[in-house]
Amino acid sequence: MKKNRVFIRLLMVLIPWLLAGLSVVAQNTVYTGKVTEQDGSSIPGVSVVVKGQTLGTITDMNGKFSIPVPAGSKVLIFSFIGLKSQEITLGSNTTLNVVMASETVDVEEVVVVGFGTQKKVNLTGAVAAVKIDEKLTNRALTNLSSGMSGLVPGLAVTQSSGMAGNDNATMIIRGLGTINSSSPLVVVDGMPDVDINRINMNDVESISVLKDAASSAVYGSRAANGVILITTKSGKGSGKTAINFSSSYALELPTKAYDFMADYPRALTLEQRAASVNTLRSNYIYKDGTVDQWLALGMINPLQYPNTDWWNIIMRNGQVKNYNLSVSGSNDKSNFFISVGVMDQKGLQINNNNTRYNARFNYDYKVKSNVNVGAKFAGNWSKYTYYYAQGFTDPASTNTAGYDMQYAIAGITPYDPVSGNYGGVMAYSEDPQAYNPYTNYINNLNYQNRQEANASIYGDWTPIKGLTARVDYALNYYNQFAWSAPTPNQAFNFQTNAFGSRVYVGANAGVSNSTNTGYKTQLNGSLNYHTTIAKHHDLNAMLVYSEEYWYDRYESASRNDRLYPSLHEIDAALTTIQSTAGNSSTEGLRSYIGRLNYTAYDKYLFEANFRYDGSSKFLPGHQFGFFPSAALGWRFTQEDFLKKYTEGWLSSGKMRVSYGSLGNNSGVGRYEQQPTLGASAYMTGGTIVNGFISQKMTNQSLSWETTTVFNIGFDLGFFKNHLTTELDYYDRLTSGMNQPSSMSNLLTGAYTAPRVNIGNLRNRGTEINITWKDNIGKFNYMVNANASYNATRLESWTGYLDKGYVFLNMPYHFVYGYQDNGIAKTWADVYKATPQGASPGDLLLKDVNGDGKIDGNDMVAQSNVQRDRPTTNFGLTTSCSWKGFDLSLLLQGSAGRKDYWLNSFNTTNIPQTRYASSWVQWNNPWSVSNPTGIWPRLAGLGNNVAQTSFWLDDLSYLRVKNIQIGYNLPKKWLTKLTIDNLRIYASGENLATFTKFRGLDPECLGNASDMYPLNKSFSLGINLGF
Amino acid sequence: MKRSNFKILVLSAFAGLALNTISCTQNLLEQTPTVDLPSSAFWNTEADATTALMGAYSAVRPLFDRDYYLDGQSEYVRARGTSTTSGNLRLGDAYNGGNYNPSGYGSSFDKMYMYLFGGVNRCNYVIENVKKMLPTAKATSVPGLELVIGEARLLRGMVYFRLISMWGDVPYFTKIAYADADVATLSRIPIAQIKDSIMADFSYAFDKLPVKASVSGRAAKPAALAFRGKLQLYWACWNKNGWPELDTFKPSAAAATDAYKAAAADFNAVINNYGLALFRNGDPGDWGTMGNADVLPNYFYLFMPAANADPELIMAFTHGGTGSNQGEELMRDFAGRSHEGSQCWVSPRYEIADRYQSTITGDFAAPLIPTNPTVAGARTKLNSAVNPASYANRDYRMKSSIMWDYEMSLGMVSLASTGMCPFIYKSWAATVVINGVSYITYNTDGTNSGYVFRKFLRNYAGQGRSDGNYSWPVMRLADVYLMYAEATNEINGPQADAIALVNKIRHRGNLPALASSKTGDKASFFSAIEQERIVELLAEGQRGFDLRRWRAIERVWCPPYGVGVWRIDTNGANQSQYFLNTSELAYQQCYIFRIPPGERNRNPNLTQNKPWM
Repeated sequence: MKKNRVFIRLLMVLIPWLLAGLSVVAQNTVYTGKVTEQDGSSIPGVSVVVKGQTLGTITDMNGKFSIPVPAGSKVLIFSFIGLKSQEITLGSNTTLNVVMASETVDVEEVVVVGFGTQKKVNLTGAVAAVKIDEKLTNRALTNLSSGMSGLVPGLAVTQSSGMAGNDNATMIIRGLGTINSSSPLVVVDGMPDVDINRINMNDVESISVLKDAASSAVYGSRAANGVILITTKSGKGSGKTAINFSSSYALELPTKAYDFMADYPRALTLEQRAASVNTLRSNYIYKDGTVDQWLALGMINPLQYPNTDWWNIIMRNGQVKNYNLSVSGSNDKSNFFISVGVMDQKGLQINNNNTRYNARFNYDYKVKSNVNVGAKFAGNWSKYTYYYAQGFTDPASTNTAGYDMQYAIAGITPYDPVSGNYGGVMAYSEDPQAYNPYTNYINNLNYQNRQEANASIYGDWTPIKGLTARVDYALNYYNQFAWSAPTPNQAFNFQTNAFGSRVYVGANAGVSNSTNTGYKTQLNGSLNYHTTIAKHHDLNAMLVYSEEYWYDRYESASRNDRLYPSLHEIDAALTTIQSTAGNSSTEGLRSYIGRLNYTAYDKYLFEANFRYDGSSKFLPGHQFGFFPSAALGWRFTQEDFLKKYTEGWLSSGKMRVSYGSLGNNSGVGRYEQQPTLGASAYMTGGTIVNGFISQKMTNQSLSWETTTVFNIGFDLGFFKNHLTTELDYYDRLTSGMNQPSSMSNLLTGAYTAPRVNIGNLRNRGTEINITWKDNIGKFNYMVNANASYNATRLESWTGYLDKGYVFLNMPYHFVYGYQDNGIAKTWADVYKATPQGASPGDLLLKDVNGDGKIDGNDMVAQSNVQRDRPTTNFGLTTSCSWKGFDLSLLLQGSAGRKDYWLNSFNTTNIPQTRYASSWVQWNNPWSVSNPTGIWPRLAGLGNNVAQTSFWLDDLSYLRVKNIQIGYNLPKKWLTKLTIDNLRIYASGENLATFTKFRGLDPECLGNASDMYPLNKSFSLGINLGF
Repeated sequence: MKRSNFKILVLSAFAGLALNTISCTQNLLEQTPTVDLPSSAFWNTEADATTALMGAYSAVRPLFDRDYYLDGQSEYVRARGTSTTSGNLRLGDAYNGGNYNPSGYGSSFDKMYMYLFGGVNRCNYVIENVKKMLPTAKATSVPGLELVIGEARLLRGMVYFRLISMWGDVPYFTKIAYADADVATLSRIPIAQIKDSIMADFSYAFDKLPVKASVSGRAAKPAALAFRGKLQLYWACWNKNGWPELDTFKPSAAAATDAYKAAAADFNAVINNYGLALFRNGDPGDWGTMGNADVLPNYFYLFMPAANADPELIMAFTHGGTGSNQGEELMRDFAGRSHEGSQCWVSPRYEIADRYQSTITGDFAAPLIPTNPTVAGARTKLNSAVNPASYANRDYRMKSSIMWDYEMSLGMVSLASTGMCPFIYKSWAATVVINGVSYITYNTDGTNSGYVFRKFLRNYAGQGRSDGNYSWPVMRLADVYLMYAEATNEINGPQADAIALVNKIRHRGNLPALASSKTGDKASFFSAIEQERIVELLAEGQRGFDLRRWRAIERVWCPPYGVGVWRIDTNGANQSQYFLNTSELAYQQCYIFRIPPGERNRNPNLTQNKPWM
């Protein structure tokens, strides 16, 4: 009831305002006219006031006004937010046409920071700001994270797959901050924990990346890995109402793919070659007759002797369609932004589709001169269809079905439309478990629908000058429904005209449904006080109290025996066999936040922050963590004693130093610290009986993981700020990383080890960002280059570290493997080498320690090379425009990462049956008849496919990420059509990649069976504004 | 100023109100688990003791219920891999990564070691907590609580028994560990001392357990007695035959004799004091007809859920069927793809077939002749291994245990029957016409011997390959008969009651009683007992332990540096060669397992077994 009353009151406040126009007073001489912008477009909502009087009006939808002016009044004042106010002296002409100019003079660049904004010149922390413009939104991107690549120094963006619905990039700020979750916190319009990949990029105004402790400290325990602040658009300052529409269409192609042999007799011959290593010809699994028969009949009878090119069967050209429509507007009391968007992607694989719908409504209203309220609502809906979680494979441990592409042999007919049968194995001795992928991409799909609604309201009140109180309340709700209802089908043997034994989906196929639902709320109350003392001392203090609460629940059900193949809800199946699951979890976080900014003489900047966080994940007494930070800035170019040296070339210069700490609890499970018993049922008398076991050992004193960051930076502007640079150096130490401790194996068979604060990890790095902006006549151009270097070192570890790729004073996951001496070409090579059971064609390993045998002690660590992520990332953006034309280019790359190129598709030790071989396996292996083969022989030693320097690749790359060319139609043509602007453009994504890596893509971090490539795309689009 | 003071006041009130009324909850930082029971809520009632005991049963079950893989360490079963799920104890993680070949396995059971101690912790948790309840418990509830302790001590005894029979000396503790420090520096305790402690556990269990369990799935006195007997039998063997790889152990002939006697006494009590009888009275049942599976001998049904509550299963770990999340995976491991997509990880070796004796002579039949089916007359030649007729008139347990060419079993897919499915080696789901009826053959590439198992393979559809509900026996009455015979034979040579018991077991194979030549002396009778153990306990995980306690690996394979022994198939092809030119050390590494080296890195007090140093 109480809530309802509040709501009604709110409506009562809002509705009259929405309906009411402003009253007009009638007296004496009536002046009329029209207010336009410099480009001729009319401006509605401009306030027209008689100077010295309370009389006034506003312009109508067409920018027209009519105002009675009492005798004696001489001046009309025209004002509008964002435009320069004008005073017009009245003469005898009662028709006034006023042209208003936009107020661009000396508007200082403002950057969004935590809980507010700051002038860029006064920033003391390491903050990178990205303005979202057409160059980004017009790219054929399906999510925001992948669009961040190459834009911000220190933000490493890695995309591992081009699969529709699974092509999010992972973002890491300033290296691996912790071995627990090292993802940055994403905050959208003040609300943490919004999925960056479900935001409509077109709704985003700007993005700030907070990289050091000083800038992140107000997010305290959430911000150890940096913060990405996203601000969505509002109608603020736009004045008139604007309608924008955009539409684009992109064609997607794979950047690279494996070249499977669509030639079954050859694939079997390859198996024979492998078998010849240790098998008599008469004992080969595949007989010569089988191969010859297939070779001959394959040419005339593709149904019974197929040579299937699976890539052609299950792949297609992808496409991305984007449509967006937004309306925004404002007047002196309110502003709004409304948008809807659709992103529709058809993936490279058949039936891999992802469609997302976005809607947003942002609204602010000035209730009184010192009271503001506002509301934001953002909703997104998505529909996702796929077969495998990773497209071609599923990394889940429960995936033992062997559905990976390596089992998709060419000797299977995908489908016979005449009989309606899906093919299976036919060749004599072929493993009946070989796999027809087509049937799964048709009959065995997974569907996932998700809806999210993020809503927030706020009110602020400024009772006295400088003091503002504000309350924010936000709710994020999500609901996800996933279902599958596979269609029964069985492998058919077209040679024997009978079903084989492989059942792809059993006749008792049922339905499985699962629902994930939950919400997150946040309540913030804040006080902000801003004052200027004695003209030169600017002081701002802020205090925030915050509560965050998470609630997630899961429920799933499945039944066997669907009633009819077209049905897919649970009730559409028999109840004979069914199963259910469900659980929920909650978490709370209580925070006290403070910030003090002090600026003296616009030269000396000081900032101090603290955040005091309490988390329900820890036990009472260990719940709270205190994370303070401080920063100093010095705008030395403001100093008179330096000005005389710098004037003329150094237009601005600032030094920043910050130091502080942040916290992290992401490694700890919600209830992990609480002593609980586990359920472990048993059967007695043929029925289930409950059992409890004690399986947890907890470290009662576990508390926050802490990251301290030291940052020093310079912001420099040269030549009237045509050239600007930002330089940063940081030293970031994460101490007390949470990990389950190592325990005696007398206990590990019964207990999960208590989590302890186990190790320290240090990241040091530098970042540089250089921008040059200028114009030559009407030719405007801009070049931005950014680069970052990061080195991660594991500094301490209280647990036991065995030999492996984690060790002290090394990067986390460094390169650790054998050294090779190349492929043995002759027996002489073998005899010269340390005995290792090799034959010609095998890879010879170096006996590094010279003990006459090859074992684990011969593995060598490369102390400066990490396997999981590059040390260096760089990006280069250039853009230029001339008259209506614009062109932009984004290059992006990385260096400093090496990894072993070993996967299911390039192994030389191919499985004896059901293996889909590729041409490299035919061409590359060494053999007596191919003595120049660049790979070890087939079916050789296990070491041939071990982690040796032979397979170690440098994953450095340079990528042409985007090229875009656009044309803005001249205004003079458009005004006749009452169109404000019209841009048409063409864009290309991932057009070329330069790398030495031999595998699919140097950016990917996939498992051995993941072969979903990244996409390149070509798109055309249009932006239209009214 | 006054005005602004007032405003500040109002502001503060506003802020305070907002924080106090809208705030999510006063207990924001006290979130409680929704599906896990807080430890503090437990151990309040006597019923909790039983609930905790069930937890211990469910934790000890997966330490024993896939022992069939261990038969891969003998001559007659091949385990080419396992269906275990890494990281999931219930789904066999204790067996995961183990090497199940006749040799070279001793270093691959670190996980088993870890999980066995996990079982020890589970039992200690029950025993110690229930002990704490005893002083304040009402007199009427004391027996119930002591029963719980008794069962937990039986389980703990079984676990430690398994530990010492694989690793010899191991750390020993009976307290709940609350932190790593409680056990981190434990050293190994001499096996003799542990043996006595296990004896104490079994004896306590024997005292407290009922004569007959109140409900199937829980243990009774015969289980405690049988395990105590088995422990003493093993102890006797180690003392008699020596265990040189365990250098802290000093065998003693006197101790051996005493232990044999004590074992025999316990087995005798099991056999005579509780009215136990063999499944279906030990009757052989019907062989049925060659090839067909509509009628099968009784021994087959002993390994079907129909036998779950049978007294012959003195100690068995129960399983639940579909939907219980407690299924066994016997079918998945023992059958082929044609049976619910099973994987045939375990199959009989070719060499087992000749072990099945003739029902006519009661002795070994003429050896089968491996023959390639492409050879003319291979399917009809006398004694040809691919001629079904060669398998006529044999031990009924052969029909029940293994399938040779043209033996049928019920195929099944998606929980429904696909009709009879003939096994024809290497045919892999081919179409075949038998007596005018068309069939699809048994599909597996999992066997390389020419045989697959029938034992443990359900002959009815309706349950998935991971949803079996058979109670896995860890102690069967038949095993007790044979152990009794072995123990008494060691003391006094062949005894009439022992011979009678062996003949009872032979009877279920429809074999005649042992000829007098087989019971004439200690050695002959031992051979007869060993023969029965091989056939009767096939794929139950006993043979590897038997070979080790009898120190018989050299005898059944070949001596060190020997020429090795081939395992072959029915077609006469060599498959794998074992013990070729094998060093003494490799044999020693079969007789004792390796203490996990990772644990030795952590714990300087932990010594290693000699062959692994």
